[in-house]
Amino acid sequence: MDGNIDERRFRELLVESDDLQSDAMRGARTDLNAYVDAAKEARYESRKDLKVGGVLLGAGVLGAAAFAFAGSASAAASSKDIMALQTAAGLENLAVFTYKTALTLPFIGGSSALPVVKAFVTKTMAQHTEHGAAFNAAVTKLGGKAQTGTDPKYTPVVKKAAPGLKGPADVVSLAITLEDIAAETYTADVGLVSTKELRQLFASVAGVEAQHRAILLAVQALVAGGLVSEIALPPNAAKLPAAAGSVGFPDAFYPTSKAAPVAEGAVK
Amino acid sequence: MTTNDKRPHEMAISEAELSSMTRELDTMHNDSFSGVKKSLEDFSANLSHLATGKATARRSFLLGAGGLAVVGGVAACSSSGGGSNSASSTSSSPTGSSSATSPYTGDLKVVALAAALENLAVAAYGMALTAAGKGTYGTVPKAIGTFVTVAMSQHKQHAAAWNGVLTKAGLKAVTTPALTITTSEVAKLTAAKTIPEVAMVALGLEQAATETYTFATANVTDAGGIMTAATIQPVEAMHAAILSFVLGQYPVPDSFIGITGAVGPAALTV
Repeated sequence: MDGNIDERRFRELLVESDDLQSDAMRGARTDLNAYVDAAKEARYESRKDLKVGGVLLGAGVLGAAAFAFAGSASAAASSKDIMALQTAAGLENLAVFTYKTALTLPFIGGSSALPVVKAFVTKTMAQHTEHGAAFNAAVTKLGGKAQTGTDPKYTPVVKKAAPGLKGPADVVSLAITLEDIAAETYTADVGLVSTKELRQLFASVAGVEAQHRAILLAVQALVAGGLVSEIALPPNAAKLPAAAGSVGFPDAFYPTSKAAPVAEGAVK
Repeated sequence: MTTNDKRPHEMAISEAELSSMTRELDTMHNDSFSGVKKSLEDFSANLSHLATGKATARRSFLLGAGGLAVVGGVAACSSSGGGSNSASSTSSSPTGSSSATSPYTGDLKVVALAAALENLAVAAYGMALTAAGKGTYGTVPKAIGTFVTVAMSQHKQHAAAWNGVLTKAGLKAVTTPALTITTSEVAKLTAAKTIPEVAMVALGLEQAATETYTFATANVTDAGGIMTAATIQPVEAMHAAILSFVLGQYPVPDSFIGITGAVGPAALTV
């Protein structure tokens, strides 16, 4: 263990964080129920409106066409919601797989690992597990099949990269990529899902993935700059290069160009 | 970290360095801004008719305002304890502090609130830079100077983005931190004499902004407005994570960003 790292303090912070996390999860579960109820309600209301519309419009051709259009629009919205949630769950499962793999490496989860890095990876993996569970819970409650697999596009990328993970910098780089894709995907999904509750769910997770990325970017800069000893809570700010202050948030507006398409991880 | 050193040292970064950082920053963020510009233009297009009072917009206006009113108003943040750094709370009336004759209503009230929040962040970081330049905090590490400069610049861009929507809708830009929480936040900044103390105030503001935008994604009704909030929220969350890291707090404490610390529209004073 590096002498500059106060492991005891870090463990205390993790305990405090877990307490906060438990509170957050209680809220999250309540929120998740609200998300699902709202989505179901939206679907029910759409169908109820369809019935009324169908009656009012009677047997006319226009009425039948309107009924069919509204029905397909509702089904499409619901289908898109489920696919977005399944794709998100697939990305989360891949993140969990990646961090789990990383923890088998001696320099991340073994004897030569920095305790701070090991603890961060462990905690981050747990958070991704919770995200995956939340997305899949919403999927199943909406009538879809849970996504238990990993994202089909990026799984081969991770598997190809795994043998080449020779040091912390390699793992951090791969993790940054996955966190960024997740954050971009959920940011984009905010604008694609059909209910306000699902928008809030995706936003609430996007911000967390962005935070993972911010810390990983900072760690990457410290590793690259030969300042591994400063990967501590808190770091010795006086020793940090000027660029370290902003490397964690490179964009003023979070991009979405790398967002996974809604159907990318949908269960077929 | 020389956080307890209160001797009147000069700031460790020069004006020239700060200027250079700002120029680099402007270049760096042009690309990301072009993407959100499209969302904002769409948002502006959708909202521009609202200033003319056309009835079609009224329903979404009410939905937007009603949704945000749930958050409640904003009170002064607690000065200590409780583990909360939040700049907001939910104790006051949703309508109590807001100007009764405000030209900003519905979605546009949220836009004005967002602009005012960004202005408060810019003002806070500006105050911190000024105080640092006077040696109030002792020697300021270069990385801290960079953080403040870049974060402040990003908040300026966020404010400009939101104000662009207001002006295109025929309303006046919100160019001040016109919020009920501003006085208390400024008081806390003025009282701060060390880098960690300033960072704690900034962390509270960043967390409040993050949660406000999280809530906005669900309660703004316009698609462009939703996406604008969605693309700014992660950036504020990243600012908060780095501040937590610097303060020695666990940087990603929650698995889900909450909304209990969101600033409600009643906090807007214009």
